[in-house]
Amino acid sequence: QTSAQPAAAPAGVQSQNIFEVKPEASAAPGYLSQSNGERNKVQPGNNAPMWRQVSGGVTGYSSLPASEAPEAGNLIQRFVQYPGSRFTNAGEAWRQVRNELLIPYGAALLFVTLLAALIFHFAHGPITLHSPETGRKIERFTPFERATHWSNAIAFVTLALSGIVMAFGKFFLLPWMGGALFGWLTYGLKNIHNFMGPLFVLTTVFMIVTFIRSNWPSAEDWRWFKKGGGLFGGTEPPSHRFNAGEKVVFWGGVLFLGSIVIGSGLYLDKLVPGVVYLRGNMQVAHMIHAAAALLMMALIMGHIYLGTLGMKGAFKAMRHGEVDETWAREHHKLWYDDIVAGKIPAQRSGAQPAARPPGVEGLST
Amino acid sequence: MARMKFVCDSERCIECNGCVTACKNENEVPWGVNRRRVVTLNDGVPGEKSISVACMHCSDAPCMAVCPVQCFYRTDEGVVLHDKDVCIGCGYCSYACPFGAPQFPSQGTFGMRGKMDKCTFCAGGPEANGSQAEFEKYGRNRLAEGKLPACAEMCSTKALIAGDGDVVADIFRTRVVQRGKGAEVWGWGTAYGSKVAGEAPTNGVKK
Amino acid sequence: MLLTPRKSGSGAGASAPASPFIHSLRRGLANALPTLDRRTFLRRSGIGVGVGLAASQLTLMRKAIAADGAQPAIGAGKVEVRRTVCTHCSVGCASDAVVENGVWVRQEPVFDSPLNLGAHCAKGAALREHGHGEYRLRYPMKLVNGKYERITWDQALDEVTARLKELRQASGPDSVYWIGSSKHSNEQSYLLRKFVSFFGSNNCDHQARICHSTTVAGVANTWGYGAMTNSYNDMRNAKVALYIGSNAAEAHPVSMLHMLHAKENGCKMIVVDPRFTRTAAKADEFVRIRSGSDIPFLFGILFHIFKNGWEDKKYINDRVFGMDKVREDVLAKWTPDKVEEACGVSEAQVLKCATWLNENRPGTIVWCMGQTQHTIGNAMVRASCILQLALGNVGKSGGGTNIFRGHDNVQGATDVGPNPDSLPGYYGIVEGSWKHFANAWGVDFEWIKKQFASPAMMSKPGITVSRWIDGVLEKNELIDQDSNLRGVVYWGHAPNSQTRGLEMKKAMDKLDLLVVIDPYPSATAAMAAMPGTDVNPKRAVYLLPACTQFETSGSVTASNRSLQWREKVIEPLWESRSDHMLMYQLAQKLGFGAELVKNYKMQKVKGLDEPVPDDILREINKCCWTIGYTGQSPERLQAHMRNMGAFDVRTLKAKGPLKDKVNGYDISGDYFGLPWPCYGTPELKHPGSPNLYDTSKHVMDGGGNFRANFGVERAGVNLLAEDGSHSVGADITTGYPELDHLLLKKLGWWDELSEAEKKAAEGKNWKTDPTGAMIRVFMKGHGCHPFGNAKARAVVWNFPDAIPQHREPLYGIRPDLVAKYPAHDDKAAFWRLPTLYKSVQQKNIADKLHEKFPLIMTSGRLVEYEGGGEETRSNPWLAELQQEMFVEINPKVAAEKGIRNGERAWVHTPTGAKLNVQALVTERVGPDTVFLPFHFSGRWQGADMLAYYPTGAAPVVRGEAVNTATTYGYDSVTMMQETKTTVCNIEKA
Ligand SMILES: Nc1nc2c(c(=O)[nH]1)N[C@H]1C(S)=C(S)[C@@H](COP(=O)(O)OP(=O)(O)OC[C@H]3O[C@@H](n4cnc5c(=O)[nH]c(N)nc54)[C@H](O)[C@@H]3O)O[C@H]1N2
Ligand SMILES: Nc1nc2c(c(=O)[nH]1)N[C@H]1C(S)=C(S)[C@@H](COP(=O)(O)OP(=O)(O)OC[C@H]3O[C@@H](n4cnc5c(=O)[nH]c(N)nc54)[C@H](O)[C@@H]3O)O[C@H]1N2
Ligand code: HEM
Ligand code: HEM
Ligand code: SF4
Ligand code: SF4
Ligand code: SF4
Ligand code: SF4
Ligand code: SF4
Ligand SMILES: [Mo]
Repeated sequence: QTSAQPAAAPAGVQSQNIFEVKPEASAAPGYLSQSNGERNKVQPGNNAPMWRQVSGGVTGYSSLPASEAPEAGNLIQRFVQYPGSRFTNAGEAWRQVRNELLIPYGAALLFVTLLAALIFHFAHGPITLHSPETGRKIERFTPFERATHWSNAIAFVTLALSGIVMAFGKFFLLPWMGGALFGWLTYGLKNIHNFMGPLFVLTTVFMIVTFIRSNWPSAEDWRWFKKGGGLFGGTEPPSHRFNAGEKVVFWGGVLFLGSIVIGSGLYLDKLVPGVVYLRGNMQVAHMIHAAAALLMMALIMGHIYLGTLGMKGAFKAMRHGEVDETWAREHHKLWYDDIVAGKIPAQRSGAQPAARPPGVEGLST
Repeated sequence: MARMKFVCDSERCIECNGCVTACKNENEVPWGVNRRRVVTLNDGVPGEKSISVACMHCSDAPCMAVCPVQCFYRTDEGVVLHDKDVCIGCGYCSYACPFGAPQFPSQGTFGMRGKMDKCTFCAGGPEANGSQAEFEKYGRNRLAEGKLPACAEMCSTKALIAGDGDVVADIFRTRVVQRGKGAEVWGWGTAYGSKVAGEAPTNGVKK
Repeated sequence: MLLTPRKSGSGAGASAPASPFIHSLRRGLANALPTLDRRTFLRRSGIGVGVGLAASQLTLMRKAIAADGAQPAIGAGKVEVRRTVCTHCSVGCASDAVVENGVWVRQEPVFDSPLNLGAHCAKGAALREHGHGEYRLRYPMKLVNGKYERITWDQALDEVTARLKELRQASGPDSVYWIGSSKHSNEQSYLLRKFVSFFGSNNCDHQARICHSTTVAGVANTWGYGAMTNSYNDMRNAKVALYIGSNAAEAHPVSMLHMLHAKENGCKMIVVDPRFTRTAAKADEFVRIRSGSDIPFLFGILFHIFKNGWEDKKYINDRVFGMDKVREDVLAKWTPDKVEEACGVSEAQVLKCATWLNENRPGTIVWCMGQTQHTIGNAMVRASCILQLALGNVGKSGGGTNIFRGHDNVQGATDVGPNPDSLPGYYGIVEGSWKHFANAWGVDFEWIKKQFASPAMMSKPGITVSRWIDGVLEKNELIDQDSNLRGVVYWGHAPNSQTRGLEMKKAMDKLDLLVVIDPYPSATAAMAAMPGTDVNPKRAVYLLPACTQFETSGSVTASNRSLQWREKVIEPLWESRSDHMLMYQLAQKLGFGAELVKNYKMQKVKGLDEPVPDDILREINKCCWTIGYTGQSPERLQAHMRNMGAFDVRTLKAKGPLKDKVNGYDISGDYFGLPWPCYGTPELKHPGSPNLYDTSKHVMDGGGNFRANFGVERAGVNLLAEDGSHSVGADITTGYPELDHLLLKKLGWWDELSEAEKKAAEGKNWKTDPTGAMIRVFMKGHGCHPFGNAKARAVVWNFPDAIPQHREPLYGIRPDLVAKYPAHDDKAAFWRLPTLYKSVQQKNIADKLHEKFPLIMTSGRLVEYEGGGEETRSNPWLAELQQEMFVEINPKVAAEKGIRNGERAWVHTPTGAKLNVQALVTERVGPDTVFLPFHFSGRWQGADMLAYYPTGAAPVVRGEAVNTATTYGYDSVTMMQETKTTVCNIEKA
């Protein structure tokens, strides 16, 4: 009957394990690829393989049902490297992307866009007409088109403002409003954002259907681009109903970025049926959403600037649906030519111009 | 100043879920919200180990860093708490948390998750200590009563130890020396920025 | 990111509590380091004082909102702390209940408890949910046209007793079967045995039958008492521990606290199981055996021990009878090749285990259901005992056979409760015992006799709970009592814990009367209400809400034989009533109420009379001499509960002196909970016996030796212990027989009795002497043990296999082995019923059942649920953690069957039953075995039973009961059901 204690064991260490194992376990072939069980056999208590699994994000067993807690078996999120993050556990990596990339650079982007618009506005001034207005109106947007645009615009602005508060509010609103008020505000905005999102999806679809024909690319677009749209000197190149710049807003902004924002947004909203919502996917969706949303906001900011202050007469077009012949000729020459040629009717909606109270026109000049 | 920490000794944990129901019981945590859970790796094969996990009250807490409304705060004892009145239920903390600690009362269609809930180290929340409001929102404030977390106090094998990081590390270290194995501490590297229990955080990402 | 300080507004609170707390933690650090005693750490750091502190803090907390229907609180707003004990397993973890306004608002750990040091598993940590009781039966109900309807208590009691009387009249008292409970307190189980006796029957039983009956019989016949010899705590002293057939990490989680501590001090742990369990995960060596092959493995070890001469020869010579015969048998039959063939373990691994057992002494063995639930369970447990005897490990601290009991009070209910073959204290049902009890109960022996159908029935063991269904269904001429069973009372027992569920449904339908008395009677209720094929039109079904042990007080015996006193935590919820109150109320209507409670005072509970539990315990103290349930007076137990911190965790001994503040009792020298045997009267101050048969201690310090219960010699061989192997300080240094008046006179010690005592003791032995004076003289005066000093029996000649023999299960997948190790012959009348062995086994082989059902099916426990599970599945905190009934399948088999993890599967068994369960594909089981947890009910062969539950009383989680599908097979001594080994097939659902 011997005791389990080898004489060599230092005081306090009473287990057989680490001192009894000879030769060194690390001498075994395939030492590094041992499973935790294999390792425990040659080196009891050395759980390195298991810890490697843990930090590798391996999902273990948890009795909680997968349907209720799909990630309960995961101890530490797996290691990843998101664009712009270090190689670290996914949560931390996402935090790095959001906090060190999206937030500061996003803020910068929006700020720079705003600044650019301001500089343009004050240095260059709004784009005005060169010839006097004729007083003859051409219907540029039907009431349906306008309704579509404005509902979309309202939805977008709501989303953008609420999104901005979520992303940046704590830097500029929180110190000013205090936690409780800011909490309530953001809580409200966040819920508005979450419900407005799906509405925006709907309006965006309408937008695309409504405007896709007129945004179909054509040869002139290239020429328009080469001349920078005439924005920085020179005459404005002729364009059809929408110029290439507007087409960029349409294709790049509404369609491309819009779809990305929408897709990722719907996922973040957990509205996509038949998928499992895992943290890893949410992180990716969020990064995509935030990045695309920021770009889109920057782009639309430019659009909004041009649609309001930037170009005389543009806002009226969207507000009342009509433009002056001069405006059409100067900004959308080819479109104007087609109307003159009778290829496109000057009035497309059922509403006759005569039916409109004359005063409105006068006011809006 | 004490710095509260958890250690789960995987050489001891037997996946009995005592810690889990202790938490449910003490804090009246509803169905679906698991402030604490137990995970088994290598289930059913030699080398199997179980670990009980909840919020680790990280030194440089990712949850805190990403919260859009900054509703997290840290107590003098290093406990990471949050204010449910301010929380907007965006779920960001749960994306960021390495351990899956933040929980939400509902599944979150339209992002409707409800207010985030997580382990409080049994330290309640911003309301007055021991108040009815604190209990209803965050559960018991045992620390204020001079007690340690319910989960650790009731752990069936004393695998889960909670308390001042130095004390906890010492208990654990003594145990490791006693048995001569099983020195790794689960999650300390990630949570406190150090691989070894009790060592100062070194590689924590500070921002 | 800045660290945000704690919000203002709670500022005052934030700093104030922090400092003392932290200081105390630091203090704790300084003191706690040298030891690893966390309890000391916590206590020193001021956390253990929790209770007092909790109370002082509670004023701030939620004013308890009195639950619906609860009595208005006495002294509104008062906060009290009541000490109770977990009701979910035999570890006996203590817990403090914080009660405010009569509502159980919090649960605090009891760091002082030497048994659990504040620790709890999932069930224990969720105890407080019992105080919610949302899914409980709220009022008495009766089955009317397939639906349960609410009735009043008066109506219920009137109708039930009227029916009982009718049955008794028409078919005799044996036509009613009483299924008692291991969840009853000692007082309630004892009272139920008394109740059934007064009803005139031995037809009563409880969970122990299907739990450790084989252990009790096998172990008692080996050395005296059928109980855990040592304690969970004592396992801290072990150098090696062999767990065979126990999954302690799930079934006795807090026991692992002690084991892991031992491990950290160098104890080696071996786990032998067909599954890689959570316990196996903690082992130094895991041995996978085929279910049902424990004897080949144990004797395989013994083979090496004998071959190498590692047995403790002196010990065997002095204290063991028949080891030579066993040695011959083992060396001849269990050569390594045979062992490997039978249990699948290689010679190298068996030898490794044998070597460890040899090199590390003392070593302990732990077993549980893996060994007991077989047709040869009695032999398996004896093989374990023999191994320990060969190693000389029994009767030693750190050694012993640590038999982990099941329910919280299965030990107590076995000791003093409703057994069909014995009276409380294992007194046989012979006339002498009946007279002893008539005397203790203060009733006339003749009166009891008249209550029975005949004097013969009075000493005929009753039917067992495992077989009640056959008592109903078996042909009348084949059963050994007049009438078939016509009425069944389920009094704290679930139906899904007994095998052959399909037949049970038939039996339930055939009954005239089914009464369920239970806080959660719903499993039985749903099964009875579920449409059947041939339902007795006159059948009546009643559900009576009992309250749980938290709504009354009483004592409970943990696995280590310690008794603990539970204080009443809350008043009975809803309309529920305590079991002992109901026993009294039924007895009154049946005409023996006065006799039943003759020795008890009454107390009012919700305005009704209830016998005082303390008085019932006092009555137990006055009659259960055999097993030393006599020293544990309520006062002593209550003093122990209030001063738990004084008991040492390793030895369980109180470091005194310490006088209890309430009743002045000095606990010094006592072992915690006065582990039985605690001989003599409470005044004798026997301290209880922490480790049985331990000769290194004086009998008045809990020492002892093996019991002389089987005569003084056998075929010329001495059965008494050899000279010198007596307990320390004994005046008789040789072996000696048990104490009776003649022996005492012969020894010349008779005159140490007073005159009155002599008068009472004349013609009596130590078990029947009503004053306990003989015991006092023998033990205190002379250091001798009242039950004598004999050898343990390695050969139990009165058992079917005197030397344990391996026999294959009735349902198996190894016909080749059946030829070598066949089952017993059939028995005609065994516990009143014909019982089949060989014929079933042979038929199965003839039918080629192993081809149709090629997988071994075993079942067992999950940590979150208990027993049939209705109680724990009604607890949302637990239910959330295990929401699906499942079957564990090896990946290899799963691949063959095309079943993936998480998918549904059908489990088919030879009974024709099929279970629809979730597949858990895991290597926990080997490719020949599948495992199913047995805690589920509420689904029946694919269909939901929800519609048949009493409204509002369905548990949170429902699933298929494995016992719907389990097969026939019963132990050859005790009628234990063969639940651990049967066969099945699996297919994708
Ligand atoms: N959580 C929980 N705890 C409980 C209970 C509960 O229901 N739930 N019930 C209590 C009760 S009543 C009891 S009796 C105990 C039971 O406690 P245990 O007996 O420890 O529990 P089981 O899971 O029934 O069985 C133990 C092991 O036996 C194995 N086994 C199966 N067949 C064989 C065999 O032939 N030989 C060997 N050596 N092993 C085999 C099983 O794989 C299982 O792992 O638990 C008590 N504690
Ligand atoms: N297949 C298979 N079958 C098995 C086993 C197995 O391993 N496999 N194990 C067997 C074993 S070891 C056992 S012990 C049995 C356990 O099986 P059971 O004992 O039948 O199961 P429990 O659900 O614990 O039943 C106890 C009942 O008592 C009720 N109860 C609780 N407290 C009280 C009280 O104070 N008063 C009253 N009147 N009722 C109360 C509970 O609500 C519950 O309905 O199962 C056995 N069956
Ligand atoms: C197109 C305009 C949109 C913009 C500009 C926008 C912008 C933003 C911004 C800035 C954030 C915050 C990111 C952060 O804080 O890190 C955000 C989050 C979010 N957005 Fe959008 N978003 C738009 C559309 C949508 C749409 C269409 C949906 C859904 C269909 C959506 C759903 C979400 C969700 C679910 C979040 C996560 C935040 C939360 O749940 O509270 N968004 N969005
Ligand atoms: C308040 C915000 C907005 C204002 C003031 C505004 C203004 C205008 C104006 C004046 C026009 C007419 C330009 C023209 O006649 O050529 C226009 C067209 C258009 N706007 Fe906006 N807009 C706003 C927001 C949006 C948003 C959020 C979107 C999409 C996400 C959007 C998409 C479009 C599209 C697609 C057109 C048609 C031209 C094209 O297809 O390129 N607008 N907008
Ligand atoms: S564990 Fe998760 S929730 Fe807790 S402090 Fe760390 S990051 Fe935050
Ligand atoms: S869910 Fe609440 S706590 Fe978590 S990040 Fe969002 S606001 Fe903060
Ligand atoms: S510390 Fe408290 S809140 Fe946190 S897991 Fe433990 S019991 Fe739950
Ligand atoms: S109570 Fe302790 S042993 Fe049980 S699961 Fe929790 S940490 Fe592990
Ligand atoms: S079930 Fe057993 S181990 Fe768990 S708390 Fe209760 S008594 Fe203790
Ligand atoms: Mo049991």
